[in-house]
Amino acid sequence: MATLTITDDRYTELYGPTPNYTPAGGWNNGEPDKLVKTHCCFCGVQCGIQLKVKDNKVIGFEPWEEFPVNQGKLCPKGVKRYMQNDHPDRLLTPLIRSATGFDVASWEKSLTKTVAAIQSIQAKHGKDSFAFLGGASMTNEKAYLNGKFARIALQTANIDYNGRLCMVSAGAANRMAFGVDRAANPWSDIPLAKVIILTGTNLAECFPILTDYIWRARDNGAKIIVIDPRITPIARTADLFLPVRPGRDSALANGILHVMIERGWIDEKFIAEHTHDFDKVRELVKKYTPEVTEKITGVPAKSILAAAEAWGTAETSMLLHARGIEHHTKGVENVLTYINLVLASGRIGKPGCGYGTITGQGNGQGGREHGQRCNQLPGGRDINKPEHRQFIADFWKIPEPELPKQGLTACEIIDAIERGEIKGLLSISFNPLVSIPDSNRTRAALEKLEFFACIDPFLSETARHADVVFAGSLQEEDEGTVTTGEGRCVRLRNSVSPPGNARVDWQIICDLARRLGKEQWFSYGNAGEIFTELTAASKGGPIDYSGMTYERIEQNMGLFWPCPAPEHPGTPRLFEGGKFHHPDGKAKFHAYDYRPPAEDVDAEFPIFFTSGRVVSQYLSGTQTRRIGSLVDQYPEPLCEMHPLLAAKFGINDRDIVKVTTRRGEMTLPAQVVKSIRPDTVFIPYHWAGKKAANQLTNRALDPISKIPEFKVCACKVEKVADAPLKNLTTQ
Amino acid sequence: MNERNHLGLIGGAALALAVAGGIWLGSHGLRHFDPAVIGYALGTLLAAFAVGYRFVTWAQRPPSRMYFRRGLQLLLSRKQSTGVAPASATTPPLHHSTTPPPYGAGTLGHALATKFVTQDFIRRRSPLRWVMHVCLSGGCTLAFAITFPLVFGWVHFESLPGNAEIYTVKALGLAVDQFSVHSAKAFVMFNLLNFSAVIVLVGLVLAAYRRVTDAGELATQKFFEDILPLLLIFAVTVTGLALTVSYKFMAGRGHGLWALVHMVSVVALLLYIPFGKLFHIFQRTCSLSVSLYKKAGQHGPRAHCRACGEDYASQMHVDDLKVVLDQLGFDYRFATARGRVHYQDICPACRRRLLALNQGRSIGR
Amino acid sequence: MTSELEFFIDPSRCIGCQACVQACAECGTHRGVPMIHLDYVHRPTGVQTAPVVCMHCEDPTCARVCPADAIKQDDEGIVHSAAKPRCVACSNCVLACPFGVPKMKVDFDLMMKCDMCYDRTSVGKKPMCATVCPSGALYYGTREYVAEFRRETPVNEFRFGRETVRTKVNMMTAPQMKALPFDVADFLPWEGQDFDPLSLARAGAPDAASSSVWDEESLPGTCGSGNCACKQQPEAAAIAN
Repeated sequence: MATLTITDDRYTELYGPTPNYTPAGGWNNGEPDKLVKTHCCFCGVQCGIQLKVKDNKVIGFEPWEEFPVNQGKLCPKGVKRYMQNDHPDRLLTPLIRSATGFDVASWEKSLTKTVAAIQSIQAKHGKDSFAFLGGASMTNEKAYLNGKFARIALQTANIDYNGRLCMVSAGAANRMAFGVDRAANPWSDIPLAKVIILTGTNLAECFPILTDYIWRARDNGAKIIVIDPRITPIARTADLFLPVRPGRDSALANGILHVMIERGWIDEKFIAEHTHDFDKVRELVKKYTPEVTEKITGVPAKSILAAAEAWGTAETSMLLHARGIEHHTKGVENVLTYINLVLASGRIGKPGCGYGTITGQGNGQGGREHGQRCNQLPGGRDINKPEHRQFIADFWKIPEPELPKQGLTACEIIDAIERGEIKGLLSISFNPLVSIPDSNRTRAALEKLEFFACIDPFLSETARHADVVFAGSLQEEDEGTVTTGEGRCVRLRNSVSPPGNARVDWQIICDLARRLGKEQWFSYGNAGEIFTELTAASKGGPIDYSGMTYERIEQNMGLFWPCPAPEHPGTPRLFEGGKFHHPDGKAKFHAYDYRPPAEDVDAEFPIFFTSGRVVSQYLSGTQTRRIGSLVDQYPEPLCEMHPLLAAKFGINDRDIVKVTTRRGEMTLPAQVVKSIRPDTVFIPYHWAGKKAANQLTNRALDPISKIPEFKVCACKVEKVADAPLKNLTTQ
Repeated sequence: MNERNHLGLIGGAALALAVAGGIWLGSHGLRHFDPAVIGYALGTLLAAFAVGYRFVTWAQRPPSRMYFRRGLQLLLSRKQSTGVAPASATTPPLHHSTTPPPYGAGTLGHALATKFVTQDFIRRRSPLRWVMHVCLSGGCTLAFAITFPLVFGWVHFESLPGNAEIYTVKALGLAVDQFSVHSAKAFVMFNLLNFSAVIVLVGLVLAAYRRVTDAGELATQKFFEDILPLLLIFAVTVTGLALTVSYKFMAGRGHGLWALVHMVSVVALLLYIPFGKLFHIFQRTCSLSVSLYKKAGQHGPRAHCRACGEDYASQMHVDDLKVVLDQLGFDYRFATARGRVHYQDICPACRRRLLALNQGRSIGR
Repeated sequence: MTSELEFFIDPSRCIGCQACVQACAECGTHRGVPMIHLDYVHRPTGVQTAPVVCMHCEDPTCARVCPADAIKQDDEGIVHSAAKPRCVACSNCVLACPFGVPKMKVDFDLMMKCDMCYDRTSVGKKPMCATVCPSGALYYGTREYVAEFRRETPVNEFRFGRETVRTKVNMMTAPQMKALPFDVADFLPWEGQDFDPLSLARAGAPDAASSSVWDEESLPGTCGSGNCACKQQPEAAAIAN
């Protein structure tokens, strides 16, 4: 039973998070032995960075100005990312759970124990009773290997990844609309656009490097339209700001399209030649007049008109969105209604014209391409399509019937654990206790597991529940490739080797596979061999990497897929000439009526609750809560609320408030600011335990993508106490 | 030549004359003056002139003058509860204080102990640097404390007429001590300079280490400011030790040459003091005033920012700076339709905000 | 050549991410201690931020008010941190600088300030803050780049009332402007006036619009919001139509 054996405080004492303030060797650590040109380990921009390495430790960084995407630019996380190396919390050996927390264990013992547990659980309860959870912060190589490991070594259908919390609504919608799941344009198209819609993206905090692209567009005369319940830093100086009420995005997009159609600001020729199903949309949006839309969305009718005019009449345009519209029980519908705006304008597949979804995780794009999802096989193939199954079965040299069918998605796996259907779990690079909604239920589920093993460089809050923890690798301790938010596959270089007895992640997976009797499928000498296999497996698939090699990627500072042949230059911009990836080459409109969120506000819980990120933290904070100066930048969650709302409850800035939803409650300081809708409160989600915003959020899933509804639920707020440090001025 | 230079020349001359007078009187009309050290004495006189000149011209600059005047006022205002009269027409009066002023001799003593003796602030900057600095400043102070009285003839040794093995120490002509040349005390006395040299060498090694390893120092150091003083101190120390080596272990071989080289190095060091980095020995006297000033400011009226209302400095400091700025020819006054504002009345944080606000307004953001 | 590269600041681009602050702390001359300033202008009303590096005045007020001759300007016009042996920690420079730049490190009894990453610029590298800045608010490059790609134009003259300060660092401002005049009157409280520090600050920007977009009407529990319990669910009604 995966219950904790010591107190949370004791785990923190032993395994962190400990904020690290000084680089390896101190501030005066001298000249590095070498500079390694690689990439940041955080978000989907994958900024180029040079790591300073001395004595097998990363001691600092130097900007890498030649890398074209970020040209040396970095966000605060990128600047301090090197501080995760040589960290006091770093796991140096495998651990096995004991009465005193964990005991240090040998690889032999921990691997044997894990394999025995897998075999006994699967013998007793069936193959699918053991699940695998992966992550989108890992390399393409590992994403591919995880999928192969689950299907061949574990033979379980239940493999999924934390991208399920992140990218899947956009991915599903992109496939439905365009027939392929990738940002349509390289970022370099952004400065060429004359109108930019940013919807549901706190771009300046979550994808800071794109800020300069947006401002460069403005320097060229572009209008910036931001749609968000909060005035985020990118919204502050926008030309038009639409303060949408949480959970109303599809209505707003329908409302904008209504005006565009009414005023004739659409490209009828493009629609006729390159798309299907526009008539259904035309019919649907008739009722979304600006007045009706205003009532639903809270966005003034005049702003809707202004947005429609700006977007409708633009010469060139880009629409970018992120989790703000995707983290909903209608996440796919929200994305599709916004894609309708792009398709109706006819401005896609040309310089400065297009569409993109902003990937939150380091390998948010690549992590969802190579078969670590429950419904997907390598090359972006569909696990339910017989010809795709056959291709991969042949490629792996296994009989097709042995290839597991579609399994459960990430949240469904946690639900199945809670119901007792899944008994064992192996997870890598995933901290569901912090990142999945309704964390009290996640905890209860973890406690029910008969066996739980983790592969992680640091002991995450979830890993505290594990029976066995394998000391895995940090990004800079392995090599491989990741695919960035624009579809550019870039090369990560090995900067240092794992410290102590820690091992590179993919070797641990291969060790397990070997002991499960599947050595012949998992005998790789290095990450490059996995990549070669991955590219071969993708050949002819929807996501084709078969023309890529490490050498080509390095020479070109990244290659865009599809790249189907060794001489193919890659494809930075998709859909040129209006050619989409559906079999008939056309894109599809989708008519989705607005429907309310799974949990809307009511008399008992009258305030919208929404969550998101801050610029100094990354995801569940397993890495960034260990870096001192990033912790100091935003040390703990604050509840953002408008002064009008605060006044109703007698709340002043920094007073302690209790926020309650049907799933849990949380006590934290208030931040009273005019930069948020008065009917909404916001709490960032990077913290664990009593500080976890996901104690409050709703685990209702989108029917198509199975993404949970992080971005809207209903809450109530009350004041608990006065600000503890009333006289201290805080920012 | 301006007034500051005139005063400087007077200051230099006064200090040089004082030193000369000290030599004359202390050595009983040069009776105890050792002609062999005439070079040192002349070098000292020259250096004294330069130090006096530099100090007075520096102390006459408006900000330094303000601090020295305020320091004196505060020191002398101990018993007064109603403030002191202005030191000059351009110095505004000190503010009235309802509580007895806590500054004065106590604060001064504390400042002397922490800033000059223990040099605690350097330890807080860097422990290594502190050890280095204590070695250098302590070793040099010890060496000068021995050599200046000897050179000036203030102290000399005489053997007893009947016993050449017993030395009498004479200070300003009076016998103050006597000891046997074989005693431990004699060993210490005769080797004090060597001890100080060793201490200084330790400091020099640490300083050299910092100079070649510290990335920040490597970037900003200048030869004349940062390297030359170390070389000069090194030269003095090594040639001084060479004298000992020469007469103790080499039967005095090369002693004459070493004595000359040593004298040249000492005089060079003395002459460097007023013109380079080492002048901070004298400039740091200002920190004593600053200690008194800060203490007084803490307990006196506070300045509140004209924009945000926060307490950001002592009112005395803000008012004094306005005077200093005027004396320096800066005029940060605004005459607006709504009234007058001095930029000094706005706190530094609000000045930064005003930069962003004014820039944003200029381009409509 | 370094001499062709100049520093350009455009606070209006700043997103407050603090990459500059984090990167500044990496510099060799002040390891672990950031020298750049990045403050919210007024967080209760908005997210505007003010990044401030040393402007490196041609006639630096900080150096002139230093009683200890501790602040030196080098031949390239860089105004350095106080010389460690000289600084008496009096804070004259902190109080006198019109841009609010010098920092008094009380622990060290020492004034430290932005020196344009002297350890980097002196060997031909770019300053840390301007290299990493993701928004282009801090930019270190050529005048030609700025002229070609930016809508705003650089000035290096600032008018503080009767004082005009010329600096090495450039500030982006409206094309017709030759100097950036500082207005204080509109940003200060005056007697008999309700003071809204930001009412005039951001013409056209959403911060300013916030009060009109988000008024009492959008509070939960009132009918206009669509979230009220009074059964007039306008949303349902709207959809039904």
